Amino acid sequence: MTHPLYTETEARVRESFLVLMHALSFPGRPQNLPAAQADDAFLLMAEALLDLETTCFTADMALDGLLAQTGARRADLASADYAFFPVLTDEHAASLALAKTGTLLLPDTSATLFIGCQFGGSQASRWTGPGIDNEITVRLSGLPDVFWRQREKAVSYPLGWDVFLVDGQQVIGLPRSTRVEPAAG
Amino acid sequence: MYIAAKGGEEAIQQSEHLYHLLNGELTIDTVRMIEKSMPYLVDRVMGEGSLYSPELAALAIAQTGGDLYEAVLLLRAYRATQPRLAYAQPIEPGEVLTVRRISAAFKDIPGGQVLGPSLDYSHRLLKLDVLDGTREPQEAFQPAEQPAPPAYPPVAGWLREQGLLAEAKADATQAADIPDVTTENVLFPAPRPHRLQAMARADTGGVLSLGYSIMRGYGLIHPTVNELRLGHAEVTLTHPVTGEKFSAGRVRVSQCEVVSPGGDEKGYAIGFAATLGWNEVKLIAASTLDLDMASQDGDGAKHPAHEEEFVMYHTEPVESSGFCIHFKLPHYVTFASGLDNIRKVIQATYG
Amino acid sequence: MTALSSLTAPQQPYSYGYLDAHAKRELRRRMLKAIAVPGYQVPYASRELPIARGWGTGGLQVTLALVGPESIVKVIDQGADDSVNAANLRRFIARMSGAATTTDAVAATLLQSRHRIPEERMREGQVLILQVPDPEPLRAVQPDMSKSAQMHADADYGQMWLSLYEQLVRFKQYIQGASYPSLVNGRHIISPSPIPRWDTPKLHLASHLTILSAGREKRIYAVPPYTTVAPLEFSDVPFQVEDQSGRACRTTGVRNRFMNEIPQTDGTSQFELSDSGYAEKLANGIMPASTYYDENGEFYHAGILKPAVRPD
Repeated sequence: MTHPLYTETEARVRESFLVLMHALSFPGRPQNLPAAQADDAFLLMAEALLDLETTCFTADMALDGLLAQTGARRADLASADYAFFPVLTDEHAASLALAKTGTLLLPDTSATLFIGCQFGGSQASRWTGPGIDNEITVRLSGLPDVFWRQREKAVSYPLGWDVFLVDGQQVIGLPRSTRVEPAAG
Repeated sequence: MYIAAKGGEEAIQQSEHLYHLLNGELTIDTVRMIEKSMPYLVDRVMGEGSLYSPELAALAIAQTGGDLYEAVLLLRAYRATQPRLAYAQPIEPGEVLTVRRISAAFKDIPGGQVLGPSLDYSHRLLKLDVLDGTREPQEAFQPAEQPAPPAYPPVAGWLREQGLLAEAKADATQAADIPDVTTENVLFPAPRPHRLQAMARADTGGVLSLGYSIMRGYGLIHPTVNELRLGHAEVTLTHPVTGEKFSAGRVRVSQCEVVSPGGDEKGYAIGFAATLGWNEVKLIAASTLDLDMASQDGDGAKHPAHEEEFVMYHTEPVESSGFCIHFKLPHYVTFASGLDNIRKVIQATYG
Repeated sequence: MTALSSLTAPQQPYSYGYLDAHAKRELRRRMLKAIAVPGYQVPYASRELPIARGWGTGGLQVTLALVGPESIVKVIDQGADDSVNAANLRRFIARMSGAATTTDAVAATLLQSRHRIPEERMREGQVLILQVPDPEPLRAVQPDMSKSAQMHADADYGQMWLSLYEQLVRFKQYIQGASYPSLVNGRHIISPSPIPRWDTPKLHLASHLTILSAGREKRIYAVPPYTTVAPLEFSDVPFQVEDQSGRACRTTGVRNRFMNEIPQTDGTSQFELSDSGYAEKLANGIMPASTYYDENGEFYHAGILKPAVRPD
């Protein structure tokens, strides 16, 4: 008996999801999205997770139109399940204070953030926690300091938001369970 | 031995073949016969399967040799693969083509008591003559001289006019936004739609058992059947292109309201249940549960049937029957784990 | 005139992997939350499948949301690949996905299991999907799920510790068998599913991702790689795995693995490996991968399992 058809859409959505799953399972390790070009990365991730049962937010006009194709309902940052920032300005980063962090009864009712930045660079941090074998040093640039301050305020485990950092076709998972400290030296 | 070193797959296939062999051939005639001559069985399966299709329900009953839990699972599994194409308009009880509508609260009601089809007042005697080949006389039923009106006002409407029942609040929720127990996880306290949906597709025997416990006196309320109604409702859809409303057909529906003095509420409090198909026993029990679960605890002892979580979890037919039969699966690893403890305890205690 | 059929995709009786796109997407969203908060039970819708509830539908939904044509799937029930239920689930997964199947725990990319974790160490990239009958470790002390959820929210585990203490007072040891309650990432107590205690430490700082799914109870939770999993124990009375000493597999002769006990007519017992895929390798002279326990019964993470102590 032949199995049901593994359509192109099915394959793309599944592969994108697996990338997100590995990224969150191994925080700090870059994973490659099956993106033809960098612009597709955010859409690929959105397509893997969003549909009419979810709400989303983005300040990026071009992406906003694309996100609507998933059927997800638009929401403000304070109530969005998924928020997309291809570029995170200081102002955006400050607004993250609004993003949902869940409740102690239902910590999964928190926001998931997709944020563009650059992997590599001089700013190194030391990450520890679930998914990390001992510790990992992560180098990132293009993330405002305000982001890290907001994350510190938002994460009161098990409350907090989960982040996917995106550089081109690559993605790094930063779940709320990860502890981030400045790298020594 | 049902853990075969090799051949597990062959064994399960042969087991299934044997089951079907013993139940006789599955044919379209059997399916049609069940659909035509056993509508109450079909309704029960459609209700628990939460899929209105007499044909598929009859097929499910035939295919499983009448194992109702298996039949309901077949329908549910099929249902889970079907897309939701549209939302129908709400059904107004006063507009339903009603074939039976009775109230125990009053001797007579506006529009009259309509007995309709029922075995309630039959003598429960086996018609043994049939076994001798005697044919049932068909002429016994005498149609009324005047055709009955097709629709009847709700009895609750009269109670409201009398100020005995709180006004029903209009609910402006759009159909697409109504919580849906088939696609969402239930958290407690459950939204009322989840509760009513869960009871509509609950196990008939389970609902009866818990409802009966209330009726017998564990409950905080004593139900009176304000109205029990069986009928045929139009499934009214909105055409996606023209926007016109049209009927996609009729379905058998049934609903029940029970009332009890309302405690803090003005007048009476009301319990409600409705199902696809005609399921009278289930409805009376379910509406009794609905009323009891909503009533205030007071100082009365709590009992399982008063707890929404208890009722909803334990009357789910697919989950309860599935878990029950899963105990047939081998559990020797878990048994070995416990056995290790028992031996250690015996060793330490008795040397 | 346009034919109606030209406007639609060709009719398929089922979606790829049986579940429709919405169901899969929902499961995937829940899985990510489960990974982000290890051990927290994420509620999910849990669709009906053409398999009875309680027979692995939770694990099966996760497997179906992960599987692809390149996947290699192993299904285990009580350690055995060819128990009838494992065979049935494997047949369904393959039929709906076209994935290859295997009995080799090392070759598999997805392992769906009821009540066992393989003896050979799992590695990064592999996903272990455990079928869960009852996701709630607090069920014995609080059967009401809305109340036990609040206890998890408050990390209010006092009653759990009390029940362990009572076991010690009464039996001088913990008498919880399988499903031994364990603290994940120092925050949430989980039921690791009814795996024997022998398998519980395998979740601790593991290289692989474990997803646990209860279809009937509609809860999904995860133990990511390199996450602490501590079986509940008082510091002076350590947690103990099932005693396998003195047991040798009657076909392969190996020791210090989890054994099935086979009662004999003369009142004695014989033993055989519970992990049938591992047994198959030994029988065929194939070199197995490193195991969690070495041939002397030492666990690969030193210091996790301690010698038995009985309270006074």
